Amino acid sequence: MNECLLCEQIIAFSPSWKGLLGLDRQMNICPNCSKKFKHADIKDEGTILDKITTLYTYNEAMREYLHQFKFLQDVQLAGVFAKELHEHLKGAGTIVPIPMHPEKKIQRTFAHMDELLKSANVSYSNILDKTDTVVMGEKSKEQRLAMKPLFALKPGKTLQSGTYILVDDIYTTGTTLCHAAIVLKEAGATRVEAVTLIRAER
Amino acid sequence: MTKPFDSTVRDFLAGRIWLRLHTPFPTETIDKHIESQHIQTIQGIKSQKKFANQVRHFCNRCENDTQSRFTTFDCAKCNGPCTYCRHCIKMGRISTCTELIVWNSEPPVYPLEHALTWGGILTSQQQKASNELIESNNKRLPHLISAVCGAGKTEILFEPIHKLLTQGKRVCLAAPRVDVILELEPRLRTAFPNTAIEALYGGSESTIESAQLILATTHQLYRFRHAFDAIFVDEADAFPYTAEETLRRAVRKAAKPQTPIHYVTATPSEKLLAEMNKTGRVSSINRRYHGHPLPVPRYDTLWNYAKHIRKGRLPAKLVKWIEERLQLQQPFLIFFHTIMLMEEAEPLFKQLDAKICAVHAVHPDRQERVQALRNKEIPGLLTTTILERGITIPNVQVAVVGSEQLTFNKCALVQIGGRVGRSAQFPTGDFVLFHHGITYAMDEAKNEIHRLNKGGVHV
Ligand SMILES: [Zn+2]
Ligand SMILES: [Zn+2]
Ligand SMILES: [Zn+2]
Repeated sequence: MNECLLCEQIIAFSPSWKGLLGLDRQMNICPNCSKKFKHADIKDEGTILDKITTLYTYNEAMREYLHQFKFLQDVQLAGVFAKELHEHLKGAGTIVPIPMHPEKKIQRTFAHMDELLKSANVSYSNILDKTDTVVMGEKSKEQRLAMKPLFALKPGKTLQSGTYILVDDIYTTGTTLCHAAIVLKEAGATRVEAVTLIRAER
Repeated sequence: MTKPFDSTVRDFLAGRIWLRLHTPFPTETIDKHIESQHIQTIQGIKSQKKFANQVRHFCNRCENDTQSRFTTFDCAKCNGPCTYCRHCIKMGRISTCTELIVWNSEPPVYPLEHALTWGGILTSQQQKASNELIESNNKRLPHLISAVCGAGKTEILFEPIHKLLTQGKRVCLAAPRVDVILELEPRLRTAFPNTAIEALYGGSESTIESAQLILATTHQLYRFRHAFDAIFVDEADAFPYTAEETLRRAVRKAAKPQTPIHYVTATPSEKLLAEMNKTGRVSSINRRYHGHPLPVPRYDTLWNYAKHIRKGRLPAKLVKWIEERLQLQQPFLIFFHTIMLMEEAEPLFKQLDAKICAVHAVHPDRQERVQALRNKEIPGLLTTTILERGITIPNVQVAVVGSEQLTFNKCALVQIGGRVGRSAQFPTGDFVLFHHGITYAMDEAKNEIHRLNKGGVHV
C-alpha cells in the first residue's frame, strides 16, 4: 500500500505476476494524477547532439509539479517520473545529468537532476562542472554559443569512447545541452544524446 | 528585559510561528532581537530516537507527526541527513536545518474601542443563541451553535466577537474553506468598521500588520501559536477539517492555552455533537432568519445520465430544467459527484448557453467564476461539492446530477439544499435531485429537512 506523491490518495494495487516477482516497478503516483501529464515523445536529431528526446509536454500539471519539486523543494517528488525515466535510460549509455552551480545547489539543498535519477534507480556519472552562473535569459542564440563554455570536465576525469546521455529537466533553446555535448565530444565521446523531461514552448 | 525592541517586529510576530529566514524584516533586525531574547528560536523538525534505532519526527509548525508525511534526504546545505515535513510544505519548507521563530516578550496591546455597526435585528432564536455563546465564553466553555442553513449564523457571532474585542482580546474566525472566508470578509469589515481585520487564505496578500480580528482558513492557523483568546470555527464539519486531525491540532495550537474553541455549523457530525454535549454547551436554531421553511428536495429520475453525457448527449429532463432557468433568468448551481463527469458535461451545457461554466476545488478561476455568478454575468455554474456551503446567491435554483452517488451523503445534501431560498426576497426555490435510483441518504436528508421544518433539533 502506498500513497500518491501528488494527491495523497492510496494507490490501488493490482497484483500481477511481474509485480509478485518484483519485476514491475511500482507507480509513485495514482492513475488520476498520472493522466494529467501528457506524453510528448518528441525526437530530434542534430549534429552536435545526435538525438534529443523529450518525454512530456509543458502543461498545468507539469508547471505545478516543477514548482513544488524545485521551488518548494519537495525532494520526495523526484519519484514522480521514476518509472518513465528508468525505462528510457536503463542500459542506454553513460548517463550524465546537467550539473548545477554549487552555490545554487546549496541554496536549493539538493541537485534536482541527481535526485530524479536516483529515484529512477539508474546509475549516473557527475563528470561535468558548471563554470559560471550567467543567467541566459536575454541573449541571442549566437551570443550564447559564443560565450565561454558553460561546462568543463571535472578535474582529473577522462572519458572512454561510447554513448553518453545528457539528462536535464527543461529543454529551452538547446544551448545548455549543446555546450555540454561539445565538452563530452571533445573529451572523446563517440555519440552524445539527450533526454529532457519537457521542452519549453516558445 | 530592558533592551529596546522594534514594535513592528513585535506586532508582526506576536502569536505567530514563522520561518526565521522568511520574515518581512531584514535578517540583521531579526538576529538582533534573537540576541536580546525578544525572539526565541525553535528547531523546525524535532526528531527523537525511539527503541530499535527508530526515529520519530515531529513538525513544530503544523504539529504533524504522521511519519509517512516526512522525507529524509541528503541535504546540500547542512551536509547530512535532513528531514522535512511534507504536510505544510506549501507554506515554505520546514526541515531539520531550518529554524522557526516566536515572539518571546511583552505582547502587543490591542485597542478597547470597537464599533459594531450592523443594522439588523436578531430573531429571538438568534438572540438566545448569541447570549448563550457569550455566557459560555465567559465561563471558558466551548460552545456549539447548530443552526439550519440560512439561520443567520454569522450575525449570531457579531455580539460575542464585539464583546471580546472591547476587552482588548484577540479573536479568530476560522473556516476550513476559502470560499467561506471570502464571503465572511466583507460582512465583517462592514460590521466592524474601526477594527483591524486581516483575512488569511492561500494566495491572500501578506502584510506586516497584526490585526486584532483574524479571518483565516484553518490551514493558515499552522502559522499561529498561542495567539487567540477565542476561536470561532465556522462550518465546523466541512471537509477537510473533520478529516484531518492535524488541522484540529492547528486550531488548538493557535489558541492560547485554556481558551475555548467554539463551533458553528448547520450539519454537526455526531462526534462533534457528542463531544460538545459532554465538555461544552450547545444552542440549536431550526428556523431560517426570514421564518420560511427549508426547501424540501424533490426527486426526479435521470436514468443512465453518465452514459448519455459520455456519449455527448445531455438528458432531456436536464435540458428542460436549464432552459426554464435561462428563460426565467434564475441563477442556478448544478452539482456533480466527480470533476471528470462535470468536465465531460461542460461543453454540452455550453451549447445551451456559452456562459455556463464549471468550478471545482483546484480550479484556478474558481473565485472569479463564483463572483461572476453573484454579479449575474453568467447564468449558472456546474460544481463539485466544493460549493455546498458558504455561498449565498439570491434566488439560486439547485440541481444535483446523480444524487445517488456516495459523495452525496445526508450532510452534503442538506448543505446543498441550504443554498436555496436564503434571502427574504426569494425565500423558496427549486431543489431537485436527479438520480439513477433513490438512496437512504436521499431519504435521510429529506426526513431531516422535514424534521427541522417541524421545529425539531439536531439529535
Ligand atoms: Zn494522485
Ligand atoms: Zn509541518
Ligand atoms: Zn538540511
